[in-house]
Parts: sequence; structure tokens; C-alpha cells
Amino acid sequence: MRRRDLLASLWAVARLAAQGRPAPVDEAGYRKLLEAGRGQILLVDFWATWCEPCRAEMPQLVALEARYRGRGLKLIAVSCDEPEQEAAAVRFLQQHQVRGPSYIKRASSDEKFITAVDAAWSGALPALFLYDRRGRKLRSFIGETDMGALETAIRKVF
Amino acid sequence: MRRMLLAAAVAAAGLAGQQFKLGSKVGDFSLKDVKGNPVSFAALKGQATVVGFIATQCPVSNAYNERMTALYKDYAPRGVKFVFINSNRTEPAAEVAEHATKNGFPFAVFKDDDNLVADRFGAQFTPEVFVLDKDGVIRYHGAIDDSQVAARVKSPHLRQTLDGMLAGQGVATAETKAFGCTIKRVKKAA
Repeated sequence: MRRRDLLASLWAVARLAAQGRPAPVDEAGYRKLLEAGRGQILLVDFWATWCEPCRAEMPQLVALEARYRGRGLKLIAVSCDEPEQEAAAVRFLQQHQVRGPSYIKRASSDEKFITAVDAAWSGALPALFLYDRRGRKLRSFIGETDMGALETAIRKVF
Repeated sequence: MRRMLLAAAVAAAGLAGQQFKLGSKVGDFSLKDVKGNPVSFAALKGQATVVGFIATQCPVSNAYNERMTALYKDYAPRGVKFVFINSNRTEPAAEVAEHATKNGFPFAVFKDDDNLVADRFGAQFTPEVFVLDKDGVIRYHGAIDDSQVAARVKSPHLRQTLDGMLAGQGVATAETKAFGCTIKRVKKAA
């Protein structure tokens, strides 16, 4: 049953991705996407259209994923935009050719969602979380990202 | 000798600025008004004090401009002091002054050069608020409310906190979280 749920949610994400739309995600959905990513090194980017450093960093993150995709790195973009900004988020993702699965937070409580992702996270954006192949959270990068430090952290996982 | 060393260590910690924590007392610190004049926090605080970290360029912070003005108008007459602070290295004092005028803020916004005050509070994002009681103890830390969109607010955290404190009933929820823009801190040498 659990496996069937996971497959169903992956199918829904793929269907929305084919339409160029991010899939909605809440606390439970976030756990599922981490579970589905086991075996890969996940770099989860929490961003928003209103977050200037997030927009500035996205092309660098896309390039980073392209560089290490062959070694198992997968970039997952989670938009923290409100429903009114979803169309702008879709346009941005398309413009920057974000290849990996993308999501948009649709939690009943932003606070609970933030805490579920990382209890130590305040909710400040940009926020990046790096997970190893077993789904363990290795590092977080909150605020303007030092891309050199991020790449070093990724290389240490291989 | 040991006592002297201990006293020296305490003095050094004071100079470096110990970090303020929820439930503990806030020591004095210095800000600058938008003309560059130093202002002591001791001269700004009151029976209850809201310390708010805000921005000029952050759309989330700007979504709260009207709500911050309404909070000031509702609670300043009831003795609450508001100390709004801009700690972003990317937003100079002239921009902060212009932003305040443009938005018709009835309150002052102070500049926190080198984000020293943000560091002491451990402030991470805008808008982020801390509420201090008459003794200067931090009683609440977090978001102004639970939605960037005013029409969708279900829990007006800051109003509930101030209402509880003014009624002498204490604070129901001491800490909340919300999405916001990171405070743009000065780059520190590695």
C-alpha cells in the first residue's frame, strides 16, 4: 500500500511536470519526495519568485546539477510562492530550464512545513538542503549561498 | 588573579556582544537613525517593546508595510514601543529614509550597521519580530502573523502576543516561523 501511494504520487508529479507545472507539496509530500529520491544525492532548493538571491542562484544550481548529474546529483526545486505567484514561478522554471522535478508548497501551515523540513530553519530564503543517497540530511545552506562551499560539500558525498 | 581573569573574560564577552535568547533579558545596544546619529536602545524601549527587522527591497517585508503601520497606530497609544531596524548591507540609510517616507511610516526605522544587532538577536529574515516585556526579557520571537497575504491571516501572532501582555495574561505562543527574505549580512573575512 505504501509503495502504491508512493508510485501514485510520483505519477502525479510526472503528470504535472509534463504540463510544466510544479506539484503541490506539504509535510507528508516532502517526506515522500525524499523517500523517492533514495539512491541519489538530493539538493533541495527552497526558493520563491519574490526572493532575489534565489532567482540569482538558480542558473548556478542548474549548472551544478548538470556538472554532477552523472554522479547521482539531483536538484529539486521547491517554490515557496503563494498561489497568486504560481504562474510566475512556472515561467521562471521554464526560463531557467530547471530539469528536475519541481514542487510548490501548499501546506496548511507554513510554520509546520518549515519545521518538518528542518527544525532549525527559520524560513529564511534561499534555503538549500543536501541529502545523501540514504536520505540523510548532510548540510543546510541558508541565505545567499557560497557556491564554492556548496560544491565542496557535494563532492564530499561522492 | 583567577577572579581578575574571570572579570576580564566577562568584559570581553560584553564587548563582543552576547547573543540574546528567548526568555532572557536583552542588554543595551546601539543603532543609528537615518541621519547617522547613534541611538541607544535604552532610550527607545518601554513597558512592552516590539523590535522588528524589516527591509526596503524584500517583497515579503513590503507586504507587511500597511499591517506594521496599523499595529503601530493600534498599540503605540497603549504604551507599546516599536523599534524597527534595517540590518541589510544592501540597503543604505538614505534608501531606508526614502522608503519610510514613501510608505508613510508613522514610526522611525533605524539602521544597524554591520548587522551587529541582528547578530545579537539571531535575526535571520525580514520581517521578523521580537517582543520584550518591561524588564527587557524576550517573550515572543517570530512572524507578525501567519500569512503574507493579509486577507488569509488566521493567526495574528504579534497582536495576540501584545494583547496577552497588555492584559497581564502572558504569552500563549512564544515562537513562530514564516517564509521571509534573508537578512543581507556583511561578508566576513574567512
